[in-house]
Amino acid sequence: MLRVDAIRAVLDRVGGAPIVSNLGGTTFHLHNLDDRDANLYMWGAMGLTSSVGLGIALAAPDRKIVVMDGDGSLLMNLGSLGTIARQSPANLVHIVWDNHQWAGTGGQPTHTAVVTDLAAVARGSGIPKVAAVSTLEALEEAFDQAMREDGPWCIIADVEGSDNPDRPDVSIEENLQRFRRTFDRPAAR
Amino acid sequence: MAWAEQIVQGLKDAGVSLAAYVPDGVTWRVLRLMEQDPFFHMIPTTREEEAVGIISGAYAAGQRGAVFMQSSGFGNTVNALATLNIPYRIPFVWFIGMRGGPGEFNLAQVPGARAIPGILDALGLQYFHLTREDELDRTLSGVIALTYAGRLPVANLLSTLMTGGRDAPR
Repeated sequence: MLRVDAIRAVLDRVGGAPIVSNLGGTTFHLHNLDDRDANLYMWGAMGLTSSVGLGIALAAPDRKIVVMDGDGSLLMNLGSLGTIARQSPANLVHIVWDNHQWAGTGGQPTHTAVVTDLAAVARGSGIPKVAAVSTLEALEEAFDQAMREDGPWCIIADVEGSDNPDRPDVSIEENLQRFRRTFDRPAAR
Repeated sequence: MAWAEQIVQGLKDAGVSLAAYVPDGVTWRVLRLMEQDPFFHMIPTTREEEAVGIISGAYAAGQRGAVFMQSSGFGNTVNALATLNIPYRIPFVWFIGMRGGPGEFNLAQVPGARAIPGILDALGLQYFHLTREDELDRTLSGVIALTYAGRLPVANLLSTLMTGGRDAPR
């Protein structure tokens, strides 16, 4: 499964739910496929995509929140899985595009290419709903279930490493303000 | 009111109801009050940078939050500050329980604490040393207003001169 096709499949099913995307290729693909108001693009903050998603999920418990993480990023912040499990937000759908490499820096293999099983780490951290998928059909089924049923969910999606999206031109500050306007909370400036 | 109660009240007055933290002996005197108060949603984290990420996400969804840490963990936040809070202009109310100052017994606590003002200056972020209980409520309400007006985190450095440090009577 190519990451770009996987992201397209999620976009086809996500409705208006907010999406937070990991830095690099995932942010680039998401923007190029559909630059929705409810997309929040990470351009740095490596490791923190899941943490940002958790904060959104806690602040907006009435909406499903989708995180598109990466293996390199999640490996940098494994404690986040335990924190998500302890908070247990029913509305959080944490997807990890696991391409087993640091794709943005030359394709060096990450630990998941060799020894580490992120689905097992998620289960061991206490995440109640964990799915490991490696085909588009299995991803679509798991994602539909995650959007229907309470979580928190962690979907580890095995994707191919080689896709090189064009780098989009995004104003970071504008992206944040546009994203914030999709929430009905004018109080916090 | 004692300093810890003043901080709790200041957060309530400003509508700051979410708090993420890595605990330490000084800030726990505030956090334990918040943990027992249904106004607050408390988020213990594994690492200071994670706490910054969570509260930043909450702001992206329109909610105000606070981050608590010890000075020894400050260094763990620099990547988040430099690549998330500053470029996106994401504020949060920030408390750092200071070690490495008057009363310190542990040499390993000193260098990291001493570096905080210099690192914050290099990042262009503001900070205030909170040293006096009798000035705290005014300082705190002002710093929280500044935090959201400037749309950047502003650090409240909780001095041992005010808190008594980790060995103060609780």
